[in-house]
Amino acid sequence: MSYARRALAVVWKDLAVERRSKETLNALVFFSLLLLFVFQFTLGADRERLAAVLPGVLWLGFVLSALLALGRTFLVEREHDCWEGLLLAPGDKSAIYLGKLLGNLLLMLLVEALVLGLFVVFFDIDLSRALPGLVVVVLLGTLGLAAVGTLFAAMTANVRARELLFPVLLLPVQVPVLLATVKATEALLLGEPLGAVAHWVKLLVAADAVYVVVSLLTFDVVLEG
Amino acid sequence: MVKTLGWLTALALVVGLLMAFVVAPREVTQGNVQRIMYVHVPLILASYVAFVVLAIASILYLVRRDPAADRLAHASGEVGVVFVGLGIATGSIWGKPTWGTWWTWDARLTSVAILFVMYLGYLLLRGTIDDPERAARYCAVLGIVAALDIPLVHFSVYWWRTLHQPPSLMKPGGFTGSASILWPLLVNLLGFVLLYAYFVARRVRLLRAEAEAVP
Amino acid sequence: MPDNWSFVAAAYALTAAVLFAYWRRLAKKEREVTMRERSNANRSRPTADRSRLTAERSGSTAERSGLSAERSQEPSRTGHPRPDPDSRHSLQ
Repeated sequence: MSYARRALAVVWKDLAVERRSKETLNALVFFSLLLLFVFQFTLGADRERLAAVLPGVLWLGFVLSALLALGRTFLVEREHDCWEGLLLAPGDKSAIYLGKLLGNLLLMLLVEALVLGLFVVFFDIDLSRALPGLVVVVLLGTLGLAAVGTLFAAMTANVRARELLFPVLLLPVQVPVLLATVKATEALLLGEPLGAVAHWVKLLVAADAVYVVVSLLTFDVVLEG
Repeated sequence: MVKTLGWLTALALVVGLLMAFVVAPREVTQGNVQRIMYVHVPLILASYVAFVVLAIASILYLVRRDPAADRLAHASGEVGVVFVGLGIATGSIWGKPTWGTWWTWDARLTSVAILFVMYLGYLLLRGTIDDPERAARYCAVLGIVAALDIPLVHFSVYWWRTLHQPPSLMKPGGFTGSASILWPLLVNLLGFVLLYAYFVARRVRLLRAEAEAVP
Repeated sequence: MPDNWSFVAAAYALTAAVLFAYWRRLAKKEREVTMRERSNANRSRPTADRSRLTAERSGSTAERSGLSAERSQEPSRTGHPRPDPDSRHSLQ
């Protein structure tokens, strides 16, 4: 089976599993709704304060959902004793990484679109000018989170205190992505063009490149046992 | 070998301590509080050495699968975390009388704090994996990811603090360039780097002995 | 600016305390390992494989010899891969 076919096979399998159980998707949707309500309760009345914290709050929602989604990346393999199957898979195991990454990306982008949509509706945000730039920033930021998140999910899949260790390992490493996305989103929502945040975008591109390349190269090592 | 290193370290640290209080002058703007810099700066710099060694040892382990490289990475990470934590604490103690606050989110402090948490996570990962070979592999991967992340952290935090933001009001700890401040600093830096090496040497030796001892 | 000697003292004292504590922890663990080695050597003395004796550093006792030739398959306590038993060094 070719490399690309193997990667896509992983994506297809995960999507099929998800479509049947909808566990992760449900959890993420309800979690996002909860986030939305809590922010409305605390900040809804004060429009100015809301506008000021909105970028951070939005990405907080994205990141927390990401933690949930990414942490469950290898849940199916672990719970149904399929971990050895991964270890014994023939050929370049980084195809599995790519497949998992794509699956995570799709899931995360779906949830982010939903969250963003809810925020726009409930907080009455005008996205008309910001949207194209926002799409770029969200794509790059999500890729950064997912790239390292998938690798770390594999690393923490079989260790004790996995649910605690995964965010502890992931979040400090993701600080550049978090900073870049929040600051860029902030500028975009204030009406600035994408060019004004070019340095943040370049940082995100560089970060994404580093994360994906390193993860591809080291995933085989992680799946040795 | 290790014993000689230990004695050299002790010598350097004692001389450094004396110099910090006898040779170094009372600083003009900050007063004697500035003397904390003679431990704070060497601790931080020595921890940087520790993390560079950790990164190199991690790559070496993945390439050669030599347990010695893994032991070096482990020991270096441990000592590095101790040193950077202590560095942050001493910096905070210095900051209270000079800046008026225990903490501020300026670029350097934020970056070092992130560094601390990242390598604390490294030690945590080590602690949770029982299988020695897997622990070595996973920690090597984490060590490399963390090391590559550091320049990204540095730039993102620096831009966050300096772009579209008024520059921070005080630039304390600036270097006057006088020899009576430089030499105590250098001697203490040497002392703490030697201390790092001594601790790592003993830790590596201990790890080796622990691995050899039949349970 | 006032001198704030209490802060200086606090910083130096904290540094000394933490570094000393780490040093003591190392020493304690070294003692534990040495004791474990000794008890292992005593236990496996009848079956000790003499050919495994490596050149000991000067000053160490003959007690520290004859470690079992078998490499245990259990995970080692430090979580590190086991080194080759042929190249054992003694802990001072």
